[in-house]
Order: sequence, then C-alpha cells, then structure tokens
Amino acid sequence: MDADAQIALSAALDRMWAVHLPELQGRVDVLESAAQAFAAGPLSVDRQLAAQAAAHKLAGVLGTFGLTRGTVLARELEIMYSRQDDRKSDAAERLNAIAAELRSIVSTRK
Amino acid sequence: MSHRILIIDDEDDIREVAALSLETVAGWQVFVANSGSQGLARAIEHQPDAILLDVMMPGMDGPTTFRELRKNPATARIPVLLLTAKVQSSDQRRFADLGVEAILFKPFDPLTLSTQISDALGWN
Repeated sequence: MDADAQIALSAALDRMWAVHLPELQGRVDVLESAAQAFAAGPLSVDRQLAAQAAAHKLAGVLGTFGLTRGTVLARELEIMYSRQDDRKSDAAERLNAIAAELRSIVSTRK
Repeated sequence: MSHRILIIDDEDDIREVAALSLETVAGWQVFVANSGSQGLARAIEHQPDAILLDVMMPGMDGPTTFRELRKNPATARIPVLLLTAKVQSSDQRRFADLGVEAILFKPFDPLTLSTQISDALGWN
C-alpha cells in the first residue's frame, strides 16, 4: 500500500469516526445507564440484553479505529452482562468503572 | 488482481469501514447489504467472488444467511467468510462446523483486512 493510499484511508477513517460518533456515544449511554441500574438492584432481562448488545458492538468496532483498550474493556462488559446471576458486590463498581473509561475513550478517541 | 466482495453487516460503522478498507487498500469492488435477506438478494444479483458475513444480525442472522446461500444454486459456490466479535472457543467451533471458508474476527485492522481475506481464500 503506498503512502498516498494510507493517508487517504486514515483521513476517511477520521471522517467515519465523526459520522458514527453519536452512535458510539449512544452505546456508551446504554452501558452507563445499565451500570447505574445494576447498582440499584437486579436488571430487567431487556436492559441486560441491551447492555450486552451495546458492549458486543463496541468490542467489535473500537479496535477497528485503533482503540484496542476500548475493545478489551467492552469485551469484559459483554461477558459480565452475559452472566445473568452475577451479583457479586464488586460487580457494580466494575461495571461503572468500565463504562466511565469507555466514555473517556470514545470522547477523546485515545 | 481486483476482486468483487459482498459485505453483509447490520452495523453501519463496521460495514462502511470494511468497504472503505477493501476499496482503498486493495482496490476491490465492494457491494454492501445491511441484513441477511438483503445480502441474499445482492449475492444473486452481483455474483461476488466472496462474501464477508456478519454473525450477529437481527432477523436473519449470519449462520441462517449462510445456510440460505448454500441452498440456492445461484449462490451455493460463493466462498463465505464469517466476521464475528465472538472470541470464545465454543462459538468458534460452532461457526467452523457450518462449513464456511474462514472466520475473521472483529475488530479487524483496516490496513490488513484484504490480506486476511486473500490468505483465507488462497488469492495470493
């Protein structure tokens, strides 16, 4: 791949990031909301599935934009939300912490 | 050599980045579909050299779409590569048992996606 094509790809990825940023932020919204609800009590099945799906989608896309840490964190959340009976006391704290870090990653693209 | 690829994925960002990658890096011709049913129609219409198929889609998911592609004589011989963010080995075994050409994982590197596909299909 020549340098011109690489620059063109990089610029196009920047444009795509800007276009899809609201959608990515929306997925983080779902994760933040689910983490807060989890801290207050058991999640409904719908909310749990929505959080699992949002985490799955973020895991699949963030690394494609070079945000490898974001994929690792989102994958951890996806696994946590797939365990329906996980009510460990530290789970709520971890869910909140990951959602906050994902918010930062998506906001700064770093 | 230029190839013709059909990408079937319901997620706009993934689909668009994959298309951009294959067009810009490899110079391939790319067709896109945002659902399994649309993908079946596009595959019949365009007769691509290969199909990159997402696993988790609402409605007709990737495995179901793959089976429908195989049932239709017009699309039965088109190589299919699954694209998935599922990394657990049980999922991988289940997907491999379908009989697809290869399983590629999200996230992918836009710089090397075309090489991954070429390697999997022996196009190099």
